[in-house]
Amino acid sequence: MENSDHIMIAFEGVSKSYGHNPALRDVSFSMGKGELCFLTGPSGAGKSTLLKLIYLAERPDEGIITLNGVEMNTVRESRIPWIRRKIGIVFQDFKLLPRTVFDNVALTLRIRGMHEADIRPIVHDTLKLVNLRHKADSLPTALSGGEQQRVVIARAIVGEPSVLLADEPTGNLDPDTAAGIMRVFREINARGTTILVATHNTELLKSTGNFIFRLDGGRLKEELYA
Amino acid sequence: MMGYHVSVALSGIWREKWINILCALSIAVGLFLLAIASLGVYNIEMATSRLPEKFSMTVYLKDGLSADEVQGITEEINKSPEVKSVQYTSKDDALKELKTIMRNSDYILEGLDDNPLPASMTVALKEASVTDISVKKLAENIEDLKGVSEVEYGRRLLEVIESVRKNTQLIGGFLIGALAAAVIFICYSTVKILFYRKMNEVETLKLLGSTRWFIRAPFLIEGGLIGLAGGLLSAAAVVGVVYAGYRRFEASLPMIGSLSLPPEVLYWLPATGLCLGIIGSFIAIGRIRF
Repeated sequence: MENSDHIMIAFEGVSKSYGHNPALRDVSFSMGKGELCFLTGPSGAGKSTLLKLIYLAERPDEGIITLNGVEMNTVRESRIPWIRRKIGIVFQDFKLLPRTVFDNVALTLRIRGMHEADIRPIVHDTLKLVNLRHKADSLPTALSGGEQQRVVIARAIVGEPSVLLADEPTGNLDPDTAAGIMRVFREINARGTTILVATHNTELLKSTGNFIFRLDGGRLKEELYA
Repeated sequence: MMGYHVSVALSGIWREKWINILCALSIAVGLFLLAIASLGVYNIEMATSRLPEKFSMTVYLKDGLSADEVQGITEEINKSPEVKSVQYTSKDDALKELKTIMRNSDYILEGLDDNPLPASMTVALKEASVTDISVKKLAENIEDLKGVSEVEYGRRLLEVIESVRKNTQLIGGFLIGALAAAVIFICYSTVKILFYRKMNEVETLKLLGSTRWFIRAPFLIEGGLIGLAGGLLSAAAVVGVVYAGYRRFEASLPMIGSLSLPPEVLYWLPATGLCLGIIGSFIAIGRIRF
């Protein structure tokens, strides 16, 4: 991870506060291209804030963030949509729209201006990858929590992003479903996508061999292999 | 891509159908009042512009003028740009005319030794130049001519017409402006409510990499379609009310037959609704920040 050409995400002395409450303090780390890493720590440790800084939902108070060589601090507002299109996000609260599963996943491609005729096969292939091909015409409200989570993953990966950020993707899921979600992440990672998973579920990390960043009180406390 | 935006807008309209129906009805009422106000202004304008076509002034001449002097006055009056034509009536012709008018009671004229009627000129004016100021100025100029004893014209009538015209334009303009603003405000507030209700959806779209126009487009289409629906409803209402009014009051109020409904209203109202809907929506969405 030393060569900057191979670095996908880098934080250098990044701090972020909400009012007088510091969420991140002087955080520095880097993540190589094609890696699958975990961001762990208790609730309120700053995991979600760190992800939000990467996908530009928040701006840092101090420090420098780079994504695939692009310094995010200086990005103009008008460029933000194009940067976000390179990032797939699995939101903690899903953020699924009241449309069919197909339309939710296709949205990522429609935003990119892709033709409808090209969208259909790509969306169906992606739904197949997350085992939801048969639910394409269902509404998210008719799906289980695990299925909804897989729709969110499908929506995040359908545009073949360089980076996939997942915020508590297995929260509130039973262990079998959580293991299934992790299998999907490994498959996507095997295709070359860099993945950063924020989770407080330490069971999920055991013996994975992946790199872990442990946050506590907004500070990066540990960097270790699981 | 437009097909996608239209389908999102249509499903949005369907999902929030009651608020959208109420909005379309409010716009229809606003546009209906706007149309009635415009038709009022239009008809008053038409009626007041028709009256001066028959408008003329009569110039009474002093007795004993020679033919050359009469010719000179005629030429002088004709020089004025407001004048369409000048028709001379001699003393004898005036008497003949009076006798024709009073042929059943010509005993009144018996015993007249001299012809008491003056020679006169009937001055017809160009329609476009008939205003109370221009006619008053022209009358003063003619009165100053040598050989002219008096100028008569419908001064009071002209003043009333001008006053009605000006006030109608002023009040009508204000009313039309206020109603147009009301329609924009209705669209604005409706789309603002819809936008707030879809705030989470908009946030998600932003995070997925949508541009501002991708987010705005369905709202603008939605606002435009609601405005268009309001416009179509108001056009139907105007046509219905005007024709029902003709039928109901034609016998008792003959002047109603002279009211006119320009056919342009049928596409002018929906087009106005569409434009005001889009404008209201655009203002309601405002600047989208990422």
